Amino acid sequence: MRKLVVALIGCLAMVGFSAFAQKVVTGKVTDVKTGVALPGVTISVKGKTMAVSTDGQGVYSIDVPSENTILVFSYVGYASKEVVARNAGNIDLTESLADLNEVVVVGYGTTVRKELTGAIGRVKGEELKNMPVPDFNQALQGRTAGVFVEAENGKVGEGIKVRIRGASSVNSSNQPLYVVDGVPLAGGGFGASTADINFNDVESFEILKDAAASAIYGSRAANGVVVITTKRGKSGKTQFNLGTQYGTNTPTGKRGFLNAAEYVSFYQQAGRGAAEYHMRPDGGDNWFGFTDLNDAYSYFDGIINSRLNRYSGWRPFRGGVDWRSGQTDTPWEDLAFQDANTNQVELSAQGGNDKTRFFISGSVNNQDGILVGNNFQRMGARINLDHQVNNWLKIGLNSGLTKIVRNRVPDDNAFSTPMQIVALAPITPLRDTAGRLFDRPVTTYYNPLLEIEESNRRTEGFRNQGSIYAEIKILPELVLHTDLGLDMVIQNAENWWGPRTLVGAATLQGQGNATSSWFRNTRWMTNNYLSYKKTFAEKHKIDATVGFAYENLDERFTYVEGQDFPDISLKTVSSATTYSDGAGTRDENNLVSMFARVNYVFDEKLLVSGSIRDDADSRFGTNFKHGQFWSASLGYILSNEKFLSGVKFLSFLKPRISYGTTGNNTGIGYYSARSQYGSVTYGTSGGLGISQFGNDDLRWETVKQFNVGLDFGFFDNKLTGEVDFYNKRTDDMLLSTPVTSVSGTTSIFGNVGQMENKGLEISLNTVNISTRSLRWTTSINISHNRNKLLKLDGEQKEILPNDARFANALIVGQPIGVFYAPKFLGANPDNGDPQYMGPDGRPVRDYDDAQKMIIGDPNPDWFGGVTNTVNWKGIELSFLFQGVFGNQVQDGAGGFMSSSGEWFDNQTRDQLNAWKQPGDVTMVPQARLNWLGDFPTPSISSRYVYDASYVRLKNLTLAYNVPAKIMARMKLSSARVYVSGVNLLTFTDYPGWDPEVNTDYRSGNVNQGSDFYAAPQIKSWVFGINLGF
Amino acid sequence: MNKTLTIYMMAAVTLLAASCEKKLELANPQSLDAEVVFSTEDRVQKVLVGNYASLGSASMFGGDVLWMSELMGSDGELNWVGTFPDPRQIWGKNIQTNNSNVQATYAAAYRVIFNCNNIIASLPVVAAANRNKVQGEALFLRAMAYFELVKYYGEKPYVAGNTGTLKGVPLITAPGPSAPQSTEYNLPRASVEEVYVQIIKDFSDAESLLPNTNVVYANKSAAMLGLARVYLQQAKYPEARDAANRCLNAATGRSLRPDYADAFNNTANTTEDIFAIQVTVQAGTNSNFTFYSTGTYGARDGDIEVQPKHMDKYEAGDRRKNLFFFEADAFRVGKWQLNFRNVKVMRLAEAYLTRAECNVRLGTAIGATVAADIKRIRDRVALPEIASPTLAHVLKERELELAFEGQGLWDAKRLKQSIDGLPWDDNRLTFPIPLRERNINPSLTQNPGYN
Repeated sequence: MRKLVVALIGCLAMVGFSAFAQKVVTGKVTDVKTGVALPGVTISVKGKTMAVSTDGQGVYSIDVPSENTILVFSYVGYASKEVVARNAGNIDLTESLADLNEVVVVGYGTTVRKELTGAIGRVKGEELKNMPVPDFNQALQGRTAGVFVEAENGKVGEGIKVRIRGASSVNSSNQPLYVVDGVPLAGGGFGASTADINFNDVESFEILKDAAASAIYGSRAANGVVVITTKRGKSGKTQFNLGTQYGTNTPTGKRGFLNAAEYVSFYQQAGRGAAEYHMRPDGGDNWFGFTDLNDAYSYFDGIINSRLNRYSGWRPFRGGVDWRSGQTDTPWEDLAFQDANTNQVELSAQGGNDKTRFFISGSVNNQDGILVGNNFQRMGARINLDHQVNNWLKIGLNSGLTKIVRNRVPDDNAFSTPMQIVALAPITPLRDTAGRLFDRPVTTYYNPLLEIEESNRRTEGFRNQGSIYAEIKILPELVLHTDLGLDMVIQNAENWWGPRTLVGAATLQGQGNATSSWFRNTRWMTNNYLSYKKTFAEKHKIDATVGFAYENLDERFTYVEGQDFPDISLKTVSSATTYSDGAGTRDENNLVSMFARVNYVFDEKLLVSGSIRDDADSRFGTNFKHGQFWSASLGYILSNEKFLSGVKFLSFLKPRISYGTTGNNTGIGYYSARSQYGSVTYGTSGGLGISQFGNDDLRWETVKQFNVGLDFGFFDNKLTGEVDFYNKRTDDMLLSTPVTSVSGTTSIFGNVGQMENKGLEISLNTVNISTRSLRWTTSINISHNRNKLLKLDGEQKEILPNDARFANALIVGQPIGVFYAPKFLGANPDNGDPQYMGPDGRPVRDYDDAQKMIIGDPNPDWFGGVTNTVNWKGIELSFLFQGVFGNQVQDGAGGFMSSSGEWFDNQTRDQLNAWKQPGDVTMVPQARLNWLGDFPTPSISSRYVYDASYVRLKNLTLAYNVPAKIMARMKLSSARVYVSGVNLLTFTDYPGWDPEVNTDYRSGNVNQGSDFYAAPQIKSWVFGINLGF
Repeated sequence: MNKTLTIYMMAAVTLLAASCEKKLELANPQSLDAEVVFSTEDRVQKVLVGNYASLGSASMFGGDVLWMSELMGSDGELNWVGTFPDPRQIWGKNIQTNNSNVQATYAAAYRVIFNCNNIIASLPVVAAANRNKVQGEALFLRAMAYFELVKYYGEKPYVAGNTGTLKGVPLITAPGPSAPQSTEYNLPRASVEEVYVQIIKDFSDAESLLPNTNVVYANKSAAMLGLARVYLQQAKYPEARDAANRCLNAATGRSLRPDYADAFNNTANTTEDIFAIQVTVQAGTNSNFTFYSTGTYGARDGDIEVQPKHMDKYEAGDRRKNLFFFEADAFRVGKWQLNFRNVKVMRLAEAYLTRAECNVRLGTAIGATVAADIKRIRDRVALPEIASPTLAHVLKERELELAFEGQGLWDAKRLKQSIDGLPWDDNRLTFPIPLRERNINPSLTQNPGYN
């Protein structure tokens, strides 16, 4: 109450004496905890546009109209402070978890957190800094409510699924829009684009979740927007920061397969099992014509022996030894992995004066993947400049340049991918007696190590992303921002396969194969907007933005394949004897947009906001060229009401509500609206063939989102948090509706479906202990999302799986991609036959007679993360547990590796529990080789569907900040040593390699929760040092 | 303070905004809009060329319809030892209704038919001088597609009788609505008889419209041999004989290769080819190679093995036996040994054998005596002449001459031979109607034995 009186008097005084002489206030701003000077803190006069910032020593000086003027000290990542000028001087600021006055970047502008009416998650770059992962999305995992992150597998720098508030679409992208310093991130041709960003340069990630926050991004905002803001220079003495880290990568787990002795005895059993089945009247019914069971046994014993001879390289002799000797026992699973290191070096400098400020950085990041041959390197440089030309013009530049080199490994479904090595028999030697890698025949079609030894798969990419801008102060309240942005990705993939590889042998002369691909994606764009900020009569604060943007996207792709090389050292395409394939394509897309937003704050209590955007996109069908998107929202800072001022424990309380629409244009190819014929070659003649069945009504998908939230702070903001409930509905959802093949095609694309996501998000931040020497904070986020497919084309109720290995289905009323297949009931205790649940609930043997039903859901019910940070006398311990709950994963490779010995692939250890004699109760049917093809061996049933909930120690960092005294002697401004780890512990019941999985070769919106020889995630440990000087 | 600049910038922005509207119409540099495709003769001709690529796709005559027939009709002569479950189901006569090969071939056949119907409807833009050829080729391609459909998906073979009530496949012979989702496409299955009538009409019209020679495209003799195949399936021997005889007469300049092995693994058509799918390094695919050949030649690891039961059928000295190669523990079909080689669809030898079979059945000597035709076949593989060949002689010659070229199952069925212990008309020797088609089109009934 006293504060209020003081403030009131202050205000009155200001009004009364503002004509009087000015006064100068000076002082130094420091961090309350470390005492370190803070350069670049903004000091503004409340209610005026006047502002200055601290210099490199944290010193400021400001002219104020009167000593009763209220000064606002604000600094990114710190709690703002309001001080009456009279009392100002040396000020200390406290680092904040969720500061209500912190500046939040929104589309085409900024605002302060307490005045937000939308749902925005914010992660400071500092929190992710130095995490040993290539992609910032991995670093964001578990840190923000409503944001689900899942790496497809443990290949380094490859695909990552990010879902903000669930999956809004079946066919369009469900990934958010990434906007880096105002320029949307263009996609690349190879690997994940997001791995191109050096996230140590990032100041903050703002995640725009509801329509109020994201509608200004229009037809691309349906999955939320991740606004990435890079670091900018602060005036003051130039500060250097040198960071280096080194560590190791290992798989999070191994699975375990049969050893040689087990393999031999298991397959001998499987041969016997096959004979028994074949002779049964209700089995193969002896169509092969054995004289009796013993005849069948001896036939199958012969088959098994001959196959064991073959796979051991013994008979015919291929450099192996007799499998009966037990000498060869190759641990193939171990051979899929390599000793992997990770290291990073980074140097940055920032500084400047009142007129010009800069931030520059350079970094090298080198990560070995855990899979043999897998590697990722990123070199990056950044320059961000700001220059105040005069009192009305400010200009600047952001420029990020990265070079990415990837040594990639084939997709999970390729015989050549390292993980498929587990299918090889343990009796197969790694190398033959001559020391060469053992080649076929093996149980699959390959020894993947041949591919590693005799192929290259190197991708080099350059990304140049940046913009130049000008800000013109037309009036004190009116600023015109104009920029010209560019995002250019140039990638080159050079692949080569030697004569011993599968690809290299499949040529005219079997003398190798090479390809060279060039991909260039250029986006240039311009944003132009006016912003108007003014407070009328003290109580009415207006912040309005109106603007226009134009974007052009130009994709070029060139590719050539050559075959048969005169020498194994000649690996570039120009040495090829025959040019076997080629491509050269050009694609363009234009987007013209207008947008506007108004924020109105009444008396620091009532918040009203509205936004609108019009997008005209060249890809839309002729009947729908323009899409309009809008939002309206309302907030009410209840805690600023007098009637709540008596509630001591309450620091802040703001309910808010929003509704609006956003779009998704990604499901439509640049020209998909039209029926088209493309070139087709027959023999040596050119022809035409239909390449696309078009639709003039093709347009964006519309997401209508309702959000209601509550922001709160209790006990002097020691406990702060947000709770949000949302309901997102996708209309006009693009679906590839199956049509009868009689029409000439198998599916047609149109805006027909509907989907819904409802969810709850809770974020809590607590300051548990805060003393001069000890500070312990906790940050918790929990999210629940329920996805529901509301409508397909209106007539169909389901699109059922037609994949031989996976059961992902679209069923109205169910979440996207549920597993729909027969329920497996284990082995028939009488005869070891597999059993499925029949229509009447009773077991049936015949797979086709089984009742298909929903046997799992790949979408998690809940996910979240808990971060604890403890600071004690310069020692800092921070750990993040992240969890995903209630989802299932289907192992599509189960039909190969856990198949009761259906074929010769090495089996998982659980297959040793196969049924052996009448009365055995087990989930693993009798071991039976399907040599005669007399029983179906379906891969899709609940037999291979597992619960994939997990809790993981995602990140742990233990750091020591060397005390200021010692640093001064070493002429350093800061020094920090740390150890940090990623994916250190995983708690799960999932029997496969890793529950965080979605096999790359089929990952999609519907096709999720799929495992197929996917590499386990990477566990990293690094040691690092950061020095400031 | 700087109003001029502001006004200037605002004007620039407005101008830019206005000019952008024009940028919303972008043509695809890689494709033509469908509306313009059927507007000129040149483009219609190009669609016709493209349709050979459709016919030659892997799921059709790019190989699948050939090896699927041999696997299903293997009768202990072939083993499928590959990992792919779908071909194993076909070989084991244990097909699931979502079998991917079964689905893909069904769809690929109707794509060919779709193209044919569009081409035929666009004949008015084709110059009169070329119209017969274009129409004839389209009809030939359509008949080829329907014939595979009715054989694989028809309820029973033609020779089972009751062809008027046996279910065949949906019959569409004109372009349908431009929207593929139109329910007009949800046609019921026509009877086996109706489909055969259409095929015979198409082949017959093609025969009269096509030129004698036509580079690698369908010519008169190909239509005649196609017709002979259809009649043979119907056991209409006089018609089959006459069609085969006409084929041999029309196949001017054609002859058997002196060496049997030279008739296969060709990059260009030989004098023996009546019709072959063109495969080059750059375009086309031969899935017979993929599954019959071995890793040594760039294929998979020898998914299909030839069993002694087949190898024992050859007489001593038969050069056809020499074409098999032994690798990875088994004999392999040498006809499909090398990559990027044409897929043989119709060879001249088949016409001789069909004529001979019908002549011996009918006791006639149309075109040539049975002995003369059989001598031609046996001479070049270094086998002695048979003075008066019986039907059994002719059928055995046919079996060995055309082995693993895709006729296995169809010959076994029309000859009512049992296959792997199953009677020739067993339900399991027919493909199911693909699950996905029945999910969409409720009027499609399933074949007996499947659900």
